[in-house]
Amino acid sequence: MTRSTNEVMVLATKAARGAGAPPAQAAQFGAAAVVHLTAGRDIAALDAALAALPDGPIIELPLALTRIAESQVEGIATGVLDLAGSTLAQSYVAALSYAAALAKDGTLHLDLNRPAPRAMVQRIDISEERYTAWTAMAAALLVPESDASRLSGAGAGLTDND
Amino acid sequence: MKDIFEAPPQMPLRAPDTVMRLSRMGSMFPTRLSFLRSLMRRLADEQAQVVCREWQMCAEGFGHGVFSIELGGHTYSLVAISTDLPPEMRTDRVIATAWDSAYVLFDGIPEAEDIARITANAPLQEAGRFGPRDLILSRANKSVRLFAHVVEALRAGRQPDLAMIRDVGYLMRTTAVYGNGKFGIADRAAFDTRAGLEGPFAAEMLTVWLIRHFTHALVEHVGQGTLDPAIKRHLGIGNSTGLGMAPFLVNHPVLLNNWMLVRETALARVRAVEHLSPQQIARIAVLAQRAAAHLEQWQVPDATHQARINTLREAWSHAVDFLEAEKLVGIRPLDAVMRASQSLGEDVEELMAALLIEPFGDLVDGLTECMADPYGAFAPPLSDTDALRAQMEGAFGWALDVDYGAPRNCGQFWYVSEAKMEPRLGLRFEEAGAALESPLDIGRRVHAAYAALPQRPEPVSAFLARHPEHALAVERVTLSARYPYAEIRDNLIATSCLPIDMLRCKLSFFGASKFDPKSDRWTRITLCQGAPLAEELGQGGDDWWLPVFAA
Repeated sequence: MTRSTNEVMVLATKAARGAGAPPAQAAQFGAAAVVHLTAGRDIAALDAALAALPDGPIIELPLALTRIAESQVEGIATGVLDLAGSTLAQSYVAALSYAAALAKDGTLHLDLNRPAPRAMVQRIDISEERYTAWTAMAAALLVPESDASRLSGAGAGLTDND
Repeated sequence: MKDIFEAPPQMPLRAPDTVMRLSRMGSMFPTRLSFLRSLMRRLADEQAQVVCREWQMCAEGFGHGVFSIELGGHTYSLVAISTDLPPEMRTDRVIATAWDSAYVLFDGIPEAEDIARITANAPLQEAGRFGPRDLILSRANKSVRLFAHVVEALRAGRQPDLAMIRDVGYLMRTTAVYGNGKFGIADRAAFDTRAGLEGPFAAEMLTVWLIRHFTHALVEHVGQGTLDPAIKRHLGIGNSTGLGMAPFLVNHPVLLNNWMLVRETALARVRAVEHLSPQQIARIAVLAQRAAAHLEQWQVPDATHQARINTLREAWSHAVDFLEAEKLVGIRPLDAVMRASQSLGEDVEELMAALLIEPFGDLVDGLTECMADPYGAFAPPLSDTDALRAQMEGAFGWALDVDYGAPRNCGQFWYVSEAKMEPRLGLRFEEAGAALESPLDIGRRVHAAYAALPQRPEPVSAFLARHPEHALAVERVTLSARYPYAEIRDNLIATSCLPIDMLRCKLSFFGASKFDPKSDRWTRITLCQGAPLAEELGQGGDDWWLPVFAA
């Protein structure tokens, strides 16, 4: 079964949050995960990143990219990204909002004045097993049901009819 | 030689500190920039035609129908399923598991197997599974009292009671309209470059308008009669909306910015109009009286909100004095009107803003092309923590002086329930779950990041390396430099925060009217009331701002 891009991005974001990532880094991971999967890269890198929380690439990669971007406040920012054999860094670069060019040696050029071109939307084929595992991680964010919550939390009572 | 576009003159925009307050957002009215209005203009321009391709409905009105429409060179089809719902199962809450009707907006013309798949899955809604040609998923419940009454009247060979039509205003209420990949449907990005669907929520609005068309067809089928066109035109489509809509505005800051910026730019352009023609003055007078009549017909059961409407009616009776013909002959008369309206409160100001935009389609309609967000959040980085501090002080002053430790300033928390993942709001000091709070507390987060900034400047990355928990705050502050209207400038976890204000803001951009709050976090509204019927699209018909029913 294929999934929509947004479906996978939202789930990956929630899984990262459920595993302990702060919200901004979790959202960046969600965007990178979609790029990663549509590019056909090793999904194990995503699982490893989730497992490494609250440390690891989900925290470190956004910092590394910020270090390069902040070397300029406009124009072209250039720096070297430590790819270290991980394909996840490439996915993070491709998910940036800036137009970016990453060389094989890790040299990264960011055009801070130009947004990244829109990526082609693709359906994502992700295994049920992994989808279930990420869903379980995301479920850590859900507040258990209670009578008070059910009655008043949404603001409409249990029924709303006319 | 290239054409050089010269933007019309405009007055200064109203400041974000004025516009982006919850109370003002909760006073907004639909405008001609609203998504439904834009869509209807497009459909009218194309003289689009709705074709019923399939109608398999029993005498009681249960079965399915398929309606197709061409837009921008593509065909879209609404697959509508009507089911026999036991009364005890009918609720508009997200936690419902069954509805009177279910819908999919399908990309193209569905084959028999597509219809079979959709009729099996759409009634399941969140528990169903959908594919890339399913663009939008929705469901609706009947207004049982009105639907039954209209059926009874038509079967008796007469038209329904006009007072009931006026007071209820719809045959069904949608309780969710899902887009952008939910439950496997198509990603918005897969079709948002198509002509006619570029605008925000355009596919959702097309779905809603087609659902309204279906409800008319269904009631006429069951009633075995034909509704008067004026009655049909006033029968919009209701909607019940709860907290799920509120986080959207916080989680899509660039979209919020673009919507508000376009609206404010439109107002600024209108305020800059040097002189009004007699025709424009006459048009404004007509709209002022229509607004008064609309307010008279806006009746809600909730006493508090009805009192607010009553106050607005009274204040509006004074506001229309500003619009008298002899007062509109000076230079920049509409700027003077807006200035005068400030003395009558936010409800009047926002109603006046919506009215003044209405006659100036030639000045403002093109702005609607800027309401989408094709590139996402895009802002250059701040140079260091001193720049970050300065930006915080400039754009988040509203958040920096708040004592977030005081119970009144943090008394609520947003969360997602495990029950169908329904968004909810809890009381921090009375309910469990605050540890799982959703990150909608932007003000508190910026306040905390501000307090943690170092005395000596350092790269933002160095600050975030020590404080990864402040990354969201840094992101929002960075965005604020490019997107001044991106942030709701109020404390969203304060005990005084009323989510209904956020709902009204978003719904007004959809084109909603007749807000009918059921609590401070739940409202019914009406969409498409007064909008052209399918058979009227070729006749133009863009004049339905704040519709009035002549019953």
